[in-house]
Amino acid sequence: MQVTIISAERSLFQGEADAVVAPAFDGQVGILPRHAPFMTLLGEGEVKLRQGGSETRFQVSGGFLQASANAVRIVTGTAVPSS
Amino acid sequence: MAKPRELKRRIRSVQNTKKITKTMELVSTSKLKRAQDRVVGARPYAQALAEVIADLYSPELAERFPLLRQPTGGVKKAAVLLITSNRGLCGAFNANLIREARRRLQELEQTGTETELHLVGKKGIAFFRFTKRTPASQRIDIGDRPTPAHAVELVTPLMERFANGSLDAVDLVFAKFNSAVSTPPTTLRILPVTPPTAGRSDGRTVNYILKPSAEAILESLLPLYVRNQVFRALVETAAAEHGARRTAMKNATDAGSDMLDILQRTYNRARQGQITQELAEIVGGAEALKG
Repeated sequence: MQVTIISAERSLFQGEADAVVAPAFDGQVGILPRHAPFMTLLGEGEVKLRQGGSETRFQVSGGFLQASANAVRIVTGTAVPSS
Repeated sequence: MAKPRELKRRIRSVQNTKKITKTMELVSTSKLKRAQDRVVGARPYAQALAEVIADLYSPELAERFPLLRQPTGGVKKAAVLLITSNRGLCGAFNANLIREARRRLQELEQTGTETELHLVGKKGIAFFRFTKRTPASQRIDIGDRPTPAHAVELVTPLMERFANGSLDAVDLVFAKFNSAVSTPPTTLRILPVTPPTAGRSDGRTVNYILKPSAEAILESLLPLYVRNQVFRALVETAAAEHGARRTAMKNATDAGSDMLDILQRTYNRARQGQITQELAEIVGGAEALKG
């Protein structure tokens, strides 16, 4: 599925991922392809994108996550890639 | 006619000035490029935020959010936040922004509204110091690389005062960056929030599972929306400043070239005149000696 991560300053990531784990306001949420339309507020923590065997991580705080039509959009005030 | 030596001195002086304006033009061009990238980079976030708020917002919810509060009995106290640059040599850029802000202040005061002024940038501060108007707050540390944190610092106190009722409206005056040559000074009312309607698809096509709830999401996104408007204004004004400076410096460089042309021609004529005169004198002298 298509994943986009947008911070206030720029768009950080755009691409395919097999699974997304994000820190929602009340705990982690996992999104797999063909997830039902879903919108949640985000807390602070790490977003993990799994692509095949590899994993990309971003540190995010606040904002929201929106999943629809096999696409996930993460909109957050600040996002930095974490190693 | 002026002396050739004086002309020579003026030519050198214009040449030096032209070098400076040319360099400033080049510097602004490259800074403009980067500032423009930042303007473009900030767009997806603003758009995503506006879309979602437009999606979730419904007029029935309006009374529940302090940031949407429409002041009852008109606007009694309003704040104007003016963004200017720290540096000059950018043509009428700051003058235009200041004029727009004064127009807005006057407009508000005519309807009996008490106003207060918040200033960003040395140029705005200098002007209002000259008119002896004391701003409610001022800062000069933002420069041409604004961050979202700057916007938060600027707008949070205003949002708090709006929410508790000691302010009824907040207007933002900044330079909207349409393109490098079109940067009109613009007034935007950021509080009370006008919920965005753009980008809304006709009828809600997707029914989202909302967590925790539509209200809770809106409540936390509305402040983000306000902050983002201020952030974008900062970024756009920074880009507009470089655009304005580039244009101003290009005009100055062109004017310098024209001036040099004229000076050079005058100089050549003066030099030739001098040589002719000297020759005439020598010939005259020789004739006189022959007797």
